[in-house]
Amino acid sequence: MKALRELISLASRLFVAGVFLYAAYDKVWQPAAFAQAVAEYELVPLWLVNSSSAVMAWLELLLGALLVFGVAVRAAALWSSGLLVFFIALMIYAGLTGAGYDCGCFPGGGHAAGYETALRDLVFLVPSLWLVFFPGRWLALAPGRGSRPREERFLS
Amino acid sequence: MTLLAKGVITPQRRSHIPWAACLIILLASAACAWLFNAFMPQGIGLTPAHVSHPLWQGVSLERAARMYGQGALFVDARDPGQYKRSHIRGAVNLSPVEREYLYPLLKPSLEAAKRIVVYGKGVSRFPAAEIGQFLRQQGFGEVWVMEAGLDEWRAAGHPLREPKRPGNSS
Repeated sequence: MKALRELISLASRLFVAGVFLYAAYDKVWQPAAFAQAVAEYELVPLWLVNSSSAVMAWLELLLGALLVFGVAVRAAALWSSGLLVFFIALMIYAGLTGAGYDCGCFPGGGHAAGYETALRDLVFLVPSLWLVFFPGRWLALAPGRGSRPREERFLS
Repeated sequence: MTLLAKGVITPQRRSHIPWAACLIILLASAACAWLFNAFMPQGIGLTPAHVSHPLWQGVSLERAARMYGQGALFVDARDPGQYKRSHIRGAVNLSPVEREYLYPLLKPSLEAAKRIVVYGKGVSRFPAAEIGQFLRQQGFGEVWVMEAGLDEWRAAGHPLREPKRPGNSS
């Protein structure tokens, strides 16, 4: 049972890491294009668009890196889950307002902001939330606090 | 009495939310973003040029409505999907995404207009400010960016075009 849980945690970690790294590299390397995508949503005033989009791109990249290497897994999973919940809300909002623009989620575009994208992010949220509760230790360099099984924590 | 004091949760059962690690991740992201954008050639400034060095002028809802009555051309800078749902009556659509295709088509109308008022949704002024900046760069003299969005325009009872959608009984 414990091995199965560790296996699911490892698979979830690598999956979420892959999603975030794939999503982030283009945003980091082409900050102007991502700032444009963020501005499309009109959620933040224009003077905040550049800084918020740049920080978000790097946040995604760092989360991906932390999850790949298994460093501070629970903290990274909390961030990734929070971001995914935010993205889901954003996609629903975009769907409600009839937006037809690209969601700006992944390189190359082709993903319109809306309900379908919200559903996709909901799928990504499942393994991310799993990691919040079961960060796991397999192939993790420094999983951080909360990664040990509860029974071990009680004994120490 | 707290739940801890009542014994509902024990110290061992309290969740360990790694606040410090979360904060460090955020600060590291902000530091990386700042360093990258400050030193890489493709880096972007803290604010866009059409905000830090605007060529357009802002205009209040009331004044924009007066300009509308005087025959100013209104440019809807929002996404074409949003434009189709509703827009100011008589407004043309010129969004940043489709600018390179739409601008040549709209150029005669824009050149014929004495005044141009650009609007977006109002919260961020995007994409109105960007289109306003673009039009000024193209040599148009009187380009105004409406400070209010379409919702405020609607609430004030000004003319709108909202095609009826299937299932819309009103």
